Amino acid sequence: MIQLSYLDYSAVEGKSFLHRFSPKVKLVGMGFVLIGIITLRNLPALFAVYAILLALFFLSRVPIKIFSLTFYPLVFAVLFIFISRFQIQFILLIFLKVLCGSTGVVLLLATTPYPSIFSNLGRFLPSLFVVALFLTYRSIFILLNVLEETQHALYFRGGIQWRHPWRSLINISSAFGHLIIKGIDASEKMYESMVLRGFENKIHYREK
Amino acid sequence: MSHIHLPDGVLPVWLWVTGFTGAILVGVILSKFFKREDWSRRLPLLGMMAAAMVLGASVEIVPIAYHVNLTVISGIFLGPTVVFLAAFVVNVILALFGHGGITVIGLNTLTLSVEGILGYFLFHLFWRIFKRLTIAIFLATFLSLLASTLSMIGVVSLGTSHYEEIIRQGEGEGVLEFRLLKERENQQKEESMKGEVNLKRFIAILLPLGFLGWLLEGVVTSLIVRYIYRLRPDLLRLGEYAS
Repeated sequence: MIQLSYLDYSAVEGKSFLHRFSPKVKLVGMGFVLIGIITLRNLPALFAVYAILLALFFLSRVPIKIFSLTFYPLVFAVLFIFISRFQIQFILLIFLKVLCGSTGVVLLLATTPYPSIFSNLGRFLPSLFVVALFLTYRSIFILLNVLEETQHALYFRGGIQWRHPWRSLINISSAFGHLIIKGIDASEKMYESMVLRGFENKIHYREK
Repeated sequence: MSHIHLPDGVLPVWLWVTGFTGAILVGVILSKFFKREDWSRRLPLLGMMAAAMVLGASVEIVPIAYHVNLTVISGIFLGPTVVFLAAFVVNVILALFGHGGITVIGLNTLTLSVEGILGYFLFHLFWRIFKRLTIAIFLATFLSLLASTLSMIGVVSLGTSHYEEIIRQGEGEGVLEFRLLKERENQQKEESMKGEVNLKRFIAILLPLGFLGWLLEGVVTSLIVRYIYRLRPDLLRLGEYAS
């Protein structure tokens, strides 16, 4: 999740041709990728989609650190292969679908600033939902800062050691507890400042 | 474990469309419970708890393919109505990082909110019965996770015929010579084809791993709530049952 800041940095600071594309075009493009993932059932076609996404990924000069994010969903996809008789065709199909989906969405987020994505979503989704989405995204960064501070305290209390699982569990839980308390305090302050600025269940985005 | 960690294109269209329709319908009905002003008051807290859930989901315990959800804690702080929207938002953000498909957002929201809503009610029920925080929160978390995992297995099993179709299609694509060799085996295979999709094996692997996860999340959630209760008991609003 720490890579989220890299995603955001890449989306705002990137200067490639994909960064310059309109967010609407990229959202429509992602829609086409999604339709491809849903409808395609043969390996060469899915492999071609993945190859195109990979080419776009590297051409758009997104930091290579982010690329590892696209493999994360494979951890869970492994569980699903037990549903088949370990048939290689089925496993490859599942893995390619996972990789196409994750590469597509990571590419979208790494080349499009999130306010642009949310403002476009706000055109057809209820404002309440889009505001919740925006506040959650914002809150992730606030909590990541708190987590960074907490890491030092965690370190002084022994941190996370596999040799001491119970102590590690207590430390992790205390860190999350601290995170939640700080988060709730921050949410109260956020609400006060939103009301002061005239918030009425809708966030207005500045056009570029 | 309650997430359906499936990519797009694996579940049948009717299933994920029903999931989306169901999630939207439930969301619309629940939104009527609150006034507009109440929603705007709760939105920042919703954002924070949803962010905590996203962060929890990013801490992967690789050996058992598990991550904590923190949905039960969110349910306790947000209440059964708001936690539904929080689950929706969390699933959208996780899908944007490739953690679960975009088409399964509706189904994921329904299963994840089962956890949050049930967690809220079970926690208050067990608190009234036992008057012991650790027991109440542990049991509420464990049982909510069990319920949401069972609902996830139910959803996955609904798509059985679709998976069989995909597998058979995969078997159909082969080299000619290979097919000739395969013809001999066809008779034997045809019998086993009926049991192509092995849901029992899937459940047999998922439930023991899930059990470890439920225990772990039950312990972590209990420790988190105990920590919060020690520092800010007012946040849990347990005084309502003091009499």
